[in-house]
Amino acid sequence: MVRRVKKPARIKTETRIPAHKYISSDSNLPVPSTVDEVKTRLSEIFSCCSDFIQREISCGKNRLIKIVVAYLNGFVDKRILNQDVIRPILDFLSNAAMNESMSISEQLKECVVVNNDIKEACNMQQAVDGIVSGEALIFIDGEETALVIGVKAPQGRPVKEPDTEISIRGAREGFVENLLTNTTLIRKRIKNPNLKLEMMQLGKQTKTDVCICYIKGIANEEIIGEVRRRLKKIDIDSVLDVGIIEQYISDSKFSLFPTVGNSEKCDKLAGKLLEGRIAIFCDGTPQVLTLPYLFIESIQNTDDYYDHAIFATVIRFLRLTALLLSTLLPGIYVALVSYHHAVIPFRLMIALAASRQGIPFSPFIEAILMIIAFELMREAGVRMPKPIGQSLSIVGAIVLGEASVAAGIASNLIVIIVSITAICSFVVPPLIRVIMLLRFTVLLAANLMGFLGIIILIVVVFAHLCRMRSFGVPYMAPFSPLTSADLKDSFVVVPIWAMVTRPGILRQEKAEGAKGTKRQEVMLNSDVQKD
Amino acid sequence: MCRKIKKRTDRVLIACLLVFLLFLTGCWSRRDLTEISIVAGIGLDRTEDGKIILTVQVVEPAAVQSTASGKGGSAQQKPVFAESYEGETVYDAVRGILSVVDKKMFFGSAQVLIIGERLAQDGIEEVLDYFIRDHDFDYEIYILVAKDTTPMEIFEMETDIDAIPSVYIYGTVDNTESRGTVKKTMLIDVIKEMSGNEKQFAIGSITKAGEMRVKTEGVAVFRDGKLAGWMDRYETRGYLFAMDKIKNAIINVPAGNGKIAMEIMRSKGKISVEFNNGELSALIVNVKVYANVGEYKGKGRLETPDSLYELEKALGEEIRKEITMAVEKTQKEYCSDIFGFGSYVRKYHPRYWKKAKRDWLAIFSELPVIVNVDAKAERVGIVMSPIE
Repeated sequence: MVRRVKKPARIKTETRIPAHKYISSDSNLPVPSTVDEVKTRLSEIFSCCSDFIQREISCGKNRLIKIVVAYLNGFVDKRILNQDVIRPILDFLSNAAMNESMSISEQLKECVVVNNDIKEACNMQQAVDGIVSGEALIFIDGEETALVIGVKAPQGRPVKEPDTEISIRGAREGFVENLLTNTTLIRKRIKNPNLKLEMMQLGKQTKTDVCICYIKGIANEEIIGEVRRRLKKIDIDSVLDVGIIEQYISDSKFSLFPTVGNSEKCDKLAGKLLEGRIAIFCDGTPQVLTLPYLFIESIQNTDDYYDHAIFATVIRFLRLTALLLSTLLPGIYVALVSYHHAVIPFRLMIALAASRQGIPFSPFIEAILMIIAFELMREAGVRMPKPIGQSLSIVGAIVLGEASVAAGIASNLIVIIVSITAICSFVVPPLIRVIMLLRFTVLLAANLMGFLGIIILIVVVFAHLCRMRSFGVPYMAPFSPLTSADLKDSFVVVPIWAMVTRPGILRQEKAEGAKGTKRQEVMLNSDVQKD
Repeated sequence: MCRKIKKRTDRVLIACLLVFLLFLTGCWSRRDLTEISIVAGIGLDRTEDGKIILTVQVVEPAAVQSTASGKGGSAQQKPVFAESYEGETVYDAVRGILSVVDKKMFFGSAQVLIIGERLAQDGIEEVLDYFIRDHDFDYEIYILVAKDTTPMEIFEMETDIDAIPSVYIYGTVDNTESRGTVKKTMLIDVIKEMSGNEKQFAIGSITKAGEMRVKTEGVAVFRDGKLAGWMDRYETRGYLFAMDKIKNAIINVPAGNGKIAMEIMRSKGKISVEFNNGELSALIVNVKVYANVGEYKGKGRLETPDSLYELEKALGEEIRKEITMAVEKTQKEYCSDIFGFGSYVRKYHPRYWKKAKRDWLAIFSELPVIVNVDAKAERVGIVMSPIE
């Protein structure tokens, strides 16, 4: 179910009435038949749009034919428009090799215009849609339809390495804001007609291009259907970022854990597609959604597959340890210091007690204060320009690390613990925010009930995780339900030459079990061969 | 529908069970580490008028850390302090001591429990009850009996070996693994012995050795929970050989006019009894040891198999002597079956035990002892014979 936020929508309705009226009332109207009418309609619609340009051309050998060319300035490549569209048309019309049995626009479309991307607009709605998405409109007097020609100028920044996902090995290319560039980057990696790109538009005002991408025969048809269904249900004004789509289509809307993944790396996305996942591109966003997204993907990284499997396995364990430490360490500290003195080794106990001596706060308050200080620093650092960020880190290190200990406000140990916690949280980037909130909860539980509280919390969180689904796929797969074949790429990474099968859990149809999966595999293989 | 309801009740049930878990926990009270006195050592003794004296050695964490890190000013705080309090019962003293010390005692961290000689003579049974009943204690704490000194004296001693004397004492008991001259006794061992029928056991002993040192050597022998006497380090070693508690030890074997120090690498000890015509006729101790030549003091050669064979025989004889000494001392002098022959008889000859139970100690002290030691010399080291 796609929930709609009602209140803001109602407020928006009032403001958007004029624009809405044009489009809805004109949508079914055919394109007017005379150039003058078309011009008036267009200038009405694009009134106060300084970038709107329409030009009337009259030419012809025997009789004068009027043409209207309309487009948005800056959005189209004028050189292409002039060379490949207008010039041939002018030549054609002046040379009068006209075929009387076909309409002029049909002839233009069939044999005159050089450009390949050419459509016919039967009504005003299509015509206007074409113009606003960067195409040029050409209308010939007396015709029933207008021509919409794609002459969009390439825009946006060049392809470069994404800042959010750095990898040591593997491709440096990252996605950009331009949808077509992004799909091309994927095509470049998967040269196969089975790579399907289904285009659709979302957002009543923004009309953002959104593209569902999958490999036919590998991705589960049911999941693809579900994705289409959920995307179609989205009914909003604007899609400014793919994150908005993510919020609409994710399964557990109230869960903190992500059920939709995102990536900026082309090779990572190609890998996900080849595993049978589905990607959603959104024009204007360099991040691409991947789904279904499972918990185990949070500790996977492309580097794992490009290097020796032993290193990958060790690093997976490190990441898992980091995940646990980052969530539990402050809580464990508080539980040990406040409740469970008997389990602390004698020497450590003395060290702990010594570092706590003279601290005016309870361990819980001390930990909370330090963690909040760190989170503030992190949040400030993320948004800050790089040169200022450095001075921030110096202030943070000196104030938090040194001064608070020297002033007797925080113990040495809590500084160490918060630092370890902080370092560890950066090891598992997709879960940083979840970990942060969980850490506070664990602290609270530890303060109230010691280890018992922590254990109860862990049980609750795991129960929640095991209950979650991402597009019908169990979130904790391959551990729950245990899919032994998929364990090859979980905590242990087997060498790439031994990783011969795709994740089975993604292939599952409604009825679970190996039988169904196998049959489906055979079926799909034969399909692929036929294709 | 039905399944749905069942699912819901299941969930409620699980939730309830989780809540019930809360009541199972023992440690409810939250106490910060800075609000407790970290006890390193506990001492118990008895005054002349029959009261219990509790002595505690409490750690001052900050002072320990500053001595460890080498900082430390002119007026340095002592890393530990000792405090005593007299009470009618142990618990009385435990709470009473709070009139002198500000923070509540935390005994879970205690390393050693030292029992005074006078208290040991009167019987440790009743005072140990508190330690068994209370949840705060670590059952693996080492117990020692103070010989010719009192717990208070030991805890007030300043030592330069470790900032915390109790840790130093703990260490000396722990290293018996490489000498085998003191019995490593844990609270749990004593509790086990006390709840058995015999109540005859041995606890390692501690004495003062100079102003700043202690020595843990020998054991205190208990009969019916009361101190009966002491055994020196050789007897203790014999006792430990028989009890299969020797990990490593050095035995000096006479060789010519010198001595060979043999290092026991492995040892296997076992006790049993011998019957003759339905009557107990002898106590048997079987020990098998494997030893290396550690040192040859004097002149001689160890080149032939014969010389090694001789060495083995002499080593066996030495160990046999120690064991016999220990058994005979407990039989004749202390009349305490610390070896557990009684338990052995009860276990393997229950019918005989029934009639012998009542005056077992009398029977035990009259029986002859047969000690069989099978010694093997394994390695002689790099040199065959001493340097000439």
